Amino acid sequence: MKPTLEIAERDLESLDAIWSGGLGEAWEAYRDHHPDGRVVLAAALVETGVQLQGLGAHIAPPGELLLGDLCLARASRLLADAGDRDLQVAFARAVETVAAEAATGEAVSPIRDLLRSALAK
Amino acid sequence: MITGRRLDIATTRATEFIDVTPRLQAEVERSRMSNGRLFVQSLHTTMGLLVNENEPLLLGDFESLLERVAPGGGVYLHDDFSRRAAVPDDEPANGHAHCRQVFLSPALTVLVEDGRLLLGRWQAVFAVELDGPRQRTLALQLDGEFAGAAARRDLVELELARQLAVDPEAVQVPMRRLVEAGGKRVRPLLVTLGSRLGPRADALRTATLAAAVELIHAATLVHDDYVDESPTRRGQPTVAAQEGAGRAIAVGDYYFAKATRVIAELGDAAVTSTIAEAMEAICRAEVDDVALRGSYPGDHGSYLQVVRGKTAALMAAACVSGAQLAGAAPPAVDRLRRYGELLGTAFQMADDVVDYSETSGKPAGQDIRQRTLSLPLIYAHEDHEVGPQIRDLLNGELNDADVSRVAELVKSSGALARVGEEARGLARAAVHALEGVELNGAAAGFDELAHSAVDRVS
Repeated sequence: MKPTLEIAERDLESLDAIWSGGLGEAWEAYRDHHPDGRVVLAAALVETGVQLQGLGAHIAPPGELLLGDLCLARASRLLADAGDRDLQVAFARAVETVAAEAATGEAVSPIRDLLRSALAK
Repeated sequence: MITGRRLDIATTRATEFIDVTPRLQAEVERSRMSNGRLFVQSLHTTMGLLVNENEPLLLGDFESLLERVAPGGGVYLHDDFSRRAAVPDDEPANGHAHCRQVFLSPALTVLVEDGRLLLGRWQAVFAVELDGPRQRTLALQLDGEFAGAAARRDLVELELARQLAVDPEAVQVPMRRLVEAGGKRVRPLLVTLGSRLGPRADALRTATLAAAVELIHAATLVHDDYVDESPTRRGQPTVAAQEGAGRAIAVGDYYFAKATRVIAELGDAAVTSTIAEAMEAICRAEVDDVALRGSYPGDHGSYLQVVRGKTAALMAAACVSGAQLAGAAPPAVDRLRRYGELLGTAFQMADDVVDYSETSGKPAGQDIRQRTLSLPLIYAHEDHEVGPQIRDLLNGELNDADVSRVAELVKSSGALARVGEEARGLARAAVHALEGVELNGAAAGFDELAHSAVDRVS
């Protein structure tokens, strides 16, 4: 069930369709790892964005690429709203890592591990 | 560096010698060009240009000379409308004016040294009205060295190169190829200009922010080119065309993330928020843009909705973040935001017009082929004469001949001139938005950028 009490309406704008397609599950996977709902949603959005874009797995069709971009951008804005500079940097480094691995054809690190590691610091 | 602009002149008499020397000098000063050439071109067949002495009796002699050469009451084949095809209803009998123009120049060059027009003691530059009174326009191009701009640009270029140099080759090489292929660097310039409004402007931190903003822009281009299936960008194969879609997606993601990190590491929460909000606006508009292609070519409202996100948001954020990083006062920041929004919209409209020129650097008619929202096409589509033909063509699969035909119809509809005028109006409004703001010597830069954004050929 979508936790409407903890996620602002505008933070899911244009992304409702992917809630049941993986974003909701990702949110559940992070919800116990940080007390700020914006940070939890940011982590879920980064994970979902990377998966939508198929980094290291498949070539995303244009529509999924753009939705993935929106997920990543919204995550960045949520972290800015939360005012957590260290997490902003750490999440960006996680995306840099998997993107560089995908570009070089290496096995892509599990994004969930990278993000949970960042949340644990 | 070349920059362009327009000089509007309202003439008041049938034949009139307008000394435009002071206005040309003002344009040179506004551009801050120190040394180079000023090209002036009349955009009319009954207005010429002349360099001579501004002495009233001599000007009377010139007028008499033109009258003798081609008398106003003479007989001209051009005035026999019964023998001409497609004569507009408002066509004047002005064969004499066209014949007089033969003896004048449609364009001229004036050298500029130390910021001054290089003219002899008695020389003045005249625009010569031959069929007035009318609203006239002179096109200007300034080609040369511009004070101050070079040093700031060099610092941003160095910072861009430095930021790219440390990245893995798989992402660095394609991005460096794109960045080094050119680009106008409008967003870094906006960051730099914005920083002039604050008391804590730091050249290195500003250059870091400016380079990161340019990387965000470049990353959007990499993803756009994949989505639009564009073969070339800046005269070179796109990252997707050269490296494949998978690599293009990864390169775009890498630089979105890296730019976000570099900006966050600057440690200014307001700047981080400004850029993050702009990135979200861009991505939301990209999604909207693709969705709106179902109702292609769309309307003015949907066009503005997409352009405000895709282009104007980052330009506004560039202005604002530069000012915020330098500690500018919130009221000035708000005005800068307005300037950037208007400039970005004007810039995109001008870009749409350039898409119909041979000098765009992109394949001709690319916007039409890719069904990208484009204001000239929207206006032409609404035109009662060419609109039905355009609708018929757009309803089917577009081959090369169809794309060329649509482009011809758009050109013939007057839509390009209409969009150009709308863009110039927005550029003027952008400059107006900064009136009363203490710009600390950046006024000429903002002014110049607004004009060059809309008066360009590529």
